[in-house]
Amino acid sequence: MTETATPKRRRTSTQPDSPSIAPETAPDKTPHPAPRPKDAPRTAKDLRLAHLAKRKPSPRTDVNPLREGLRLERVPDPCTLVLFGCTGDLARRKVIPALYQLWRTNLLPHEFSIVALGRRPFDDESLRAEYRKSLESYSRVLPLDEAAWRSFAQRVRYMRGDFDDPAAFDRLVTILDAIDNEQGNRAEGRGNHLYYLATQPSAFAEIVGQLGRVGLDHEHHDGGWRRIVIEKPFGHDLNSAIRLNREVGKVFRESQVYRIDHYLGKETVRNLLVFRFGNGIFEPIWNRRHIDHIQITVAESIGVENRGSFYEETGASRDFLQNHLLQLMSLVAMEPPATFDADALRDEKVKVIRAIGELTGDEIRTNVVRGQYGKGWVAAQPVQGYRQEPEVDPESETETYVAARFEVDDWRWSGVPFYLRTGKRLPKRASEIAIQFKEVPHRLFRDSSTDPDPNLLAIRIQPDEGIMLRFGAKLPGLGIDVRSVTMDFTYGSAFTVDSPDAYETLILDALLGDASLFTRADEVEGAWARVTPIIETWADEPAPDFPNYEAGTWGPEAADELLARDGRKWRRI
Amino acid sequence: MTAGPVTPAAPPRPGEPVLRWRSRAHSIEEVEGELARIWAQTNFQVDMNGDQVNDERHVAARTSVMNLVVIARRPEVGERTAAIIQMLTGRHPSRTTIVQPADPDGPSWLDALIVAHCVMPRADAPETCAETIHLTCGGEAGRHLDAIIAPLLIHDLPVTIWWPEDPPFGTPPANDLLATADRLVVDGSGWRGTGLTQLVKMAAAADRFPIAISDFALLRQSRWREAIAAIFDIPDFLPYLRHIRRIAVTYGVRDDFGAETTNIVKPLYHAAWIGSRLGMQVTKPLGAMHVGGPRRPTGRQSALANPSAGLGASLRMDRTDVSVVIRPVVSEMPAGTTLRVELLADWRGSELRADVTAEQEAVHVRVWQDGVHALERGFNAPRRTDIDLLAEAIEAGGRDPVAVGTLALAAELVGDGAAAGAAV
Repeated sequence: MTETATPKRRRTSTQPDSPSIAPETAPDKTPHPAPRPKDAPRTAKDLRLAHLAKRKPSPRTDVNPLREGLRLERVPDPCTLVLFGCTGDLARRKVIPALYQLWRTNLLPHEFSIVALGRRPFDDESLRAEYRKSLESYSRVLPLDEAAWRSFAQRVRYMRGDFDDPAAFDRLVTILDAIDNEQGNRAEGRGNHLYYLATQPSAFAEIVGQLGRVGLDHEHHDGGWRRIVIEKPFGHDLNSAIRLNREVGKVFRESQVYRIDHYLGKETVRNLLVFRFGNGIFEPIWNRRHIDHIQITVAESIGVENRGSFYEETGASRDFLQNHLLQLMSLVAMEPPATFDADALRDEKVKVIRAIGELTGDEIRTNVVRGQYGKGWVAAQPVQGYRQEPEVDPESETETYVAARFEVDDWRWSGVPFYLRTGKRLPKRASEIAIQFKEVPHRLFRDSSTDPDPNLLAIRIQPDEGIMLRFGAKLPGLGIDVRSVTMDFTYGSAFTVDSPDAYETLILDALLGDASLFTRADEVEGAWARVTPIIETWADEPAPDFPNYEAGTWGPEAADELLARDGRKWRRI
Repeated sequence: MTAGPVTPAAPPRPGEPVLRWRSRAHSIEEVEGELARIWAQTNFQVDMNGDQVNDERHVAARTSVMNLVVIARRPEVGERTAAIIQMLTGRHPSRTTIVQPADPDGPSWLDALIVAHCVMPRADAPETCAETIHLTCGGEAGRHLDAIIAPLLIHDLPVTIWWPEDPPFGTPPANDLLATADRLVVDGSGWRGTGLTQLVKMAAAADRFPIAISDFALLRQSRWREAIAAIFDIPDFLPYLRHIRRIAVTYGVRDDFGAETTNIVKPLYHAAWIGSRLGMQVTKPLGAMHVGGPRRPTGRQSALANPSAGLGASLRMDRTDVSVVIRPVVSEMPAGTTLRVELLADWRGSELRADVTAEQEAVHVRVWQDGVHALERGFNAPRRTDIDLLAEAIEAGGRDPVAVGTLALAAELVGDGAAAGAAV
């Protein structure tokens, strides 16, 4: 009672214009000012500032408090997606099925349109018919929902035009203006646009330049965002990536650019962040003291299929090592970001990429292995070698396999090798990250008939997305025999709800303006800075002895030697 | 009655729950024994190919998510809830106990039907199974539900109580049950009368017990909240949010006299959600409206006894009064359904008016700024089923501060008016 009443009677010394008598300081009832604390205000300005400081802080006026706690997915603003390369393989197999699925599940705004830009002689109806065929083959949910398809199809408009034709972009402005006026989020018709570049990489700079020329990059202060999604490969070496970044940067700000690496949209990859930073038990052992080494594998059983000419220009290093593998590595090795926003996340990933020691000359010959498949058997079927594939040079030196040993030179990972491998025509399609822990310091059960393997944590990205932990357990019986057992979490069994396709996740994120799962310019350039010296060194080397692995095997022998030299071996997947 | 594994007649299809176990028991010990038998099965026999030869199916997981306890006073409610829970077997494999008290004055007895349903996510994947215990208990046993349920809970797993009818908040049996629970799932829009008395009692229970509460009535409105929130995602409109002057919610009633018996929990939640998110305080609780403004109740009559002309309340945000109006309109929609939410804001002499309506598949937003039509948006958001709502309720972890704030402000808005409103 007195505790609460006393302060009310006591004037504070922050009110010097109305001096008060504090009871404990006025035994003789003689009024006198209370002693002034050192930090008491002395001027009118000080007084005003002190008064303001005491006021309850105003709520942030730039934050929408109604948004807090909404469990529904946030629906993007009304917008138009302009799809460049709308009749290509990527558009049909991935982009359109993802957009249809988002539409079907009400995750796109009611006021949503697709302007599909291509060179072929389609009209709206014939393109819609083509897309319907594509969906019947590639939609992850079949049969199609007829009502959803009809309403989705109505939103698709075709525009024929060449990417290097300025008149086509002038027409695009007119079309977008008309759509914006129909569905714009403001009466003035300043709509939101997402430009999706599902084209050959050689067209990227041209399209970006044309968009800039006609002013379709300009964002409006009262809404009307403009974003651009660029597919990989982003450049074919460091210099070309820098050039392309520069070209894109002349038109779009970095915050408008969304570079897709679809691996980052996969459920398990996203779960990697939750697994590492949402659980308390793993992060304390996620370092050089407990981890022996890390293996990252992205294996494909298919060959180059119909992409021979494309693959001849890229090879495994450009197609997978520079992007998917280094992205996965950076997610495994990154420090916890301070917040879960795009830049905080990407800052930490960039730090990892920069900490990967650049390999030079002899180091490349020692730590990187390339391979090319010859004929062999995959899934009980005979398959031809790479050099016999359509559109492939019979003397091709393009690598279809690459394995590399990298180290991250920082406090957490110093001395822990990261072994990365990717290849085509391997025995199975499988991608995983394997964290191999160190052996126990003292082998208490050395007399056990079966030595347990060191603990291993395997994060499976595809197929059977999930996580497996291997540990030793006592065999039932009177003795103390130890055997390795596994604890297995599989997404497909634990949750019967289908995971979204990576493209659904990424396209929705781009529409919502969340760039967390997209790569930033400095990440791309950092990754190229690690891979370009490898490619250049190979170019200067004598022709490799290709093919050096049979289709249906796990790659060249040199890849096994890469680990054997360190007393390790690739994990059997 | 056969006791034990059930072999399905037809090969199971991915995603569809299939009955795999059925047995009966008449005491808690017998129920525990049957559950142990289910758990001892590592594989279930099933004809996968339709070739009349049973194959063994590996069971991957059982009851690994939580304990779900359903209190159903009527058999049809128990059956309906069981059907909903079965649909969630794959997604939330839980041990479900559906309790139906019966004949409270007779001798004590207990009858239990134990069933297990399995779902295979894919043809080549192991199955996920979950068991359901249908318990009917009579006599004294029916008054000590917590004592019946406690031994059947899987230890260390959270306990969710789903009370699909009117929970007897404040009574010893309800208190005993809530004391064992981590989460309570209710549907406030299904409560008798206006539902406001129950709502106030539930708010008191939320204060008393450390439980999270999921009310379908609030969850159902998420599509409205999404649409309303989206208005203020637009930077031009955001400044108006802290200068709202009026929140009006229109709901449907069957006829001119329907308001007195129509549940208005859902319309009230709209106002309470907006008020709580914006930190508003109740200055005048809900009272019956008459032409010209809210009318003070007279004598012993409840302030909420005659909501026919609508209910009005006052909130305060910073130094500004915000009027709340909840008014009925005769409609063919189910009674108590929100038909419209209107917001009026006034900022620096500029007026913003928002009008939000919904239909089966979509929510529509219209906004006028100083009388000029400034925004029209549609949100594809179909009404959600009880399966969706239960899934969302049990997926939520811990107390949702938005739900806590909304419930607290809703109870404050009802105020003392609920005391006499108990009759309605």
